[in-house]
Formats: sequence, structure tokens, C-alpha cells
Amino acid sequence: MTDPTTIPPAPAPAPVPAETDVRRTPLPIFTKALTDSWRSVLWWSIGLAAAVCLYLPLFPSLGGSDQMQRLIDSLPAELTRTLNYDQLGTAPGYTQSTIFGLIGYLLLSMAAIGWGASAIGGDEESGQLELTLAHGVTRVQVAVQRFLALVVKVLILVLVTFVLILLWNAPAGLNLNGSYLLGTSLLLGGLGLVSGSAALFCGALTGRRIWGIGGGAAVAVLGYVFNALGNQTPDLRWLHSLSPYYAAFGHSPLQNGADAWTLVLFYLAALVLCAATAFTLRQRDVGV
Amino acid sequence: MPRLADVTLGRTTTPPAAIEAVDLVKRFGSTVALHGVSFTVPAGSVFGVIGPNGAGKTTIMRSLLDLIRLTSGRATLLGTDSRKAGPAVRRRIGFLPGELTLEGRITGRRLLNYYANISGPVATGRIDDLADRFDLDLDRTVRTLSKGNKQKLGIVQAFMHEPDLLLLDEPTSGLDPLMQQEFLRLVREARDAGQTIFLSSHVISEVQQAADEVAILRDGRIITIAGVDALRDTAIRHLRLHATGIGVAELTNRLTRVDGLGQLTCLPTGLGAEATATLSGAIGPFVQAIAPLQLTDLVVDEPDLEESVLTLYRSPDTIEVEDENSDARTVAS
Repeated sequence: MTDPTTIPPAPAPAPVPAETDVRRTPLPIFTKALTDSWRSVLWWSIGLAAAVCLYLPLFPSLGGSDQMQRLIDSLPAELTRTLNYDQLGTAPGYTQSTIFGLIGYLLLSMAAIGWGASAIGGDEESGQLELTLAHGVTRVQVAVQRFLALVVKVLILVLVTFVLILLWNAPAGLNLNGSYLLGTSLLLGGLGLVSGSAALFCGALTGRRIWGIGGGAAVAVLGYVFNALGNQTPDLRWLHSLSPYYAAFGHSPLQNGADAWTLVLFYLAALVLCAATAFTLRQRDVGV
Repeated sequence: MPRLADVTLGRTTTPPAAIEAVDLVKRFGSTVALHGVSFTVPAGSVFGVIGPNGAGKTTIMRSLLDLIRLTSGRATLLGTDSRKAGPAVRRRIGFLPGELTLEGRITGRRLLNYYANISGPVATGRIDDLADRFDLDLDRTVRTLSKGNKQKLGIVQAFMHEPDLLLLDEPTSGLDPLMQQEFLRLVREARDAGQTIFLSSHVISEVQQAADEVAILRDGRIITIAGVDALRDTAIRHLRLHATGIGVAELTNRLTRVDGLGQLTCLPTGLGAEATATLSGAIGPFVQAIAPLQLTDLVVDEPDLEESVLTLYRSPDTIEVEDENSDARTVAS
């Protein structure tokens, strides 16, 4: 029985609003990063597909022919070693030298470095990162979700490459081992991802896209150059140990199968670079 | 929706502060952007910061949002230390950057949906209502929009989730006068709904119309914080009068005795004399001085806040009155 004149007790203090806000998209930063770049994913896929479809059908007349082998034998050994053309005669060697070791590596690295450099460095440079970070997200979320988008985009390109090579496997007379091909494709993805993550990290460190591109390109180009130099003479072979490119392709994974630990190491390295990116971004003044 | 500030703090004796900044110092290398800036913005008020470009307005906004880290000092936003204010607090904040850059390749609607995804919940229809008010076409690609229309997108973005606190850096830049008025209405509505607005500008008129309190910032220091009314009292009015049956000498003599009157120019006319002058301070003595005159015309302008603030920009300690160019400064009414 309450006295009608009694003032009802004050309600309990309102709780601080918990993180219960309705969100229409889970992982909004990730989703945005992915949907924003569907065009470039498409174009890079077309580029890789074109490379695969131009090179592989030529294997029976080029790589597999004695004439071609004689031509290659007549070239300077330094040149063939640099281009990895010394194994052009076999199907795994041909696919490795043309696609994985050269044009595929080039295209995938360019795509990954471009994406990585733009994801944070480019976004900050344009002034858009400032506005995103003023919203209900943490810097770590932004870094991690954009890294995940980079991983997905790189893996899409790897998948396109893998599937197309698989499709040409019989028609071009390659007869590659499917699981070796998968392993090598994932190694290519790991290589691209390490360069792309380096670009992401350098972009986050400096807030400039161009430094991101520089950092990523340094990893990709030096990896290639160290491998090529290491191939030349035993004196320079130690350079192999500095080359991600050599770590991935030095043991002919298409011929011998990819080493599982090497694969793990590549993706682990990308994760470490992602963590470094998140840590760096957390410390910095943004947009100055 | 009851606002947190109303519910938890409505029963306390002192009104809560939406922003409390204490001795903010920010150095970029050897340049000092903020030299110990302190101010308090009461919840539910509009607080304006005016100052020339480079005075530190943007640096204050960025440091409040923890986009940049203070060299020393601390700030509290909505009761939380700015360094510890996480996503939950930032969802209750709307921000409009001074140099607004928006992604160009998507439509305005999709862009706003993205920002809605990472901010507080946006009521259904709210985005369209705001876009209608500003006559903004949300289905056009952002890249094709004019600067003013991009700015409108930025404003909608800041207001759409009805945040408790709005940080608006140069909010009306690029807007035409009609849209500036619409923006000021939006600000007043937000304040009436209990939201707090912190806005910066180098255009004094918009602060004058919108703000309850104004801080004047120069070279990283707050020169003065005053209510708009107090600032108005120190402001300079331009006046012009015409009287018949009086000579120039007598009119000059009568007016020069009025406190706060400056830049007096008297000219003879056919039937009497005409005077133009500036007046700062109280208007009463002036009215008394001219009461006996046979006035045929009297114009006293709205006090010009810009002019009084500009004198503060020039010199923080003294307000100079320029005696030369007095003819050139005669104001057309």
C-alpha cells in the first residue's frame, strides 16, 4: 500500500549504453574495403587470366619442343638463370618460369602492393581515414579489417590463377600435379601478401601512399633481384636467404611440392606485419 | 530517446560538461600548435571557436577525438577521458572535418550508409529527411557533386545519428547563404533537443548567430571566452545621423563628449549637418546626447562582432581605434 503523496523513489541511474547498437553490416570496415575494390579485383583477375591463357597453350610448341630447348641452351647462362628459363623444357618448369616466377608474380605483387598502400596510407593521405576513425571504430579494427580484405583479394587472384591453370592442364599437355599446383599457388599468394602487408605497414607508418608502395615494392623487387643474383654464382648464393621469392620458388614447388612450413611462414609473416600495422597506427597522430 | 546526460546528471546540482578541456598543449616538432588551451562546454549548449586559419581550431577538434595525441593537458568528452574514449563514446559524437574529403566513386546514399554502419544507430528516414532539408540528391555519385553539396553530405553524416555531441569544423564552408541558414536552424534544433555543439569558424557571423559562448583563438591560445551578448557589448556599432538647425561645429562638440564614440566625421548639409561615427559600449549616453537634436535621419547598425574580434586578433591587450580612413569606413546601412 503506497501513500499517494510519497514521491516515488528515483529510478536507478541509467546504465551506460552498452555496445548494443544495431549494426546492419558485421565487420563494416572489411565489407567496405572489399566492395570498394571489386573493380580492381576484376581487372587484375582479367590480367592474370590473360597471362595464363597466353602462355600455357604455347607450352607444346615452345617449352616442350627440342628446338626451343636448343635456343635456350644457346642463350647466355646468366640470362636464363635470371629469368628462370633454365627449366623451360618441362611442364612444371615452364609454368613456374612464365606464370609463377614472372608475369603472375609481377601482376599479383603490383595488385597487392597497390591495395596495401592505399588501405591506410592512401586513405589517410586523402583525408578520409580521419573521418572513419572519428566514428565508432578502433584503429586496430580498421587495420585488421583492411588487412583481412587484402588477404581475401589476394586469395581471389590466386584462386583465379589456380583454376585457370588447372583448366589448361590437360589441353596444354602440362599434366601438373594438382596438389603441387595448389601449394605453389598459395605460395604465390603468400609472396604477394607479404609485399602487400609490407605496403600496408609502411603506409600506416608514414600516412603516405607512396611510402607504402615504396616499402612493398622494395620487398617484391629485392626478393626477385636477390634470387636472380644468388642464381648466378655460388659466391652470391647467400643472397637467397634474404629473398622471399627464393624461399617460395627456389625449390621448384611445382615439381617437388610446396613445403608446408614455408607456406605457414609466409602467412605468419603477413600476420606479423598486420600486427605491426595495427600497433603503429595506434601510436600515431592521424591526418597531420 | 532520453539522453544519457539528462538522465544521469539531471539530478546533480551543477550542469554536466559535454567537453572539458584542461591546458591542452600540442607540439608538432618545434612548432607549438596549442599553448595550453582550456575551456568547458556545458551540455546542451552551442560553443563556438573563432580564429584565423592556423590558430589551432582543427588541432583542438582532432585532439578531442584522439586523432592526434596531446603533448600535455587532458580533455574529457561526455564524461570520458578523450584518450580512453572508445567506439562507444564516439558513436555518440558527430564529426565534420574542416577539410572534408569523401570517397568519390559511390553514391551519397551508400556513403552515408557506410558511416551509419560505424556510428550510432540512425533512425529510419532520418537520412532522407536531412537530405530533403538541404536539397541534396543522394543518388548522385559523390564525385559529381559540387563542393557545397559534398559539404551537405558531411553535415548529414554528422547529424544523422542524433549524437549527444557534435564537433563541427568550419561547418558552413562552401554552403550558399540559404543553406547556411538551414544549417543554423539545424544547430538550434539540435541544441533544443539537448545535444551539445562545438563548432569552429573563421566566419564570425555564423558563430554569432548560432553560439551561446564564443572562444577566440589566436596562435594556439584562447584570447577570450565570452557569451555572445558580452561580446556584442564590446562590439563596435556604426552610426549615422542627420539633424536640421544645427551647425557642424555644434554637432561635433555635442558628439565628441559621448563615451565610446570614435571616428567622428561631421559634414554640413543644406539644412543642417550630418555625422557618421562608431560607437562601442553602452548606447544610453549617446541617445541622451542626441535627444535634443532635430533628427531627420538616424541609423545605428547591428553591432559588428567581426570588427571587434578582428581588433582582438590584431592585439590581444589593446583595442586600437584607427583614426585615419574614417571616411572609407563609413558604413552603408
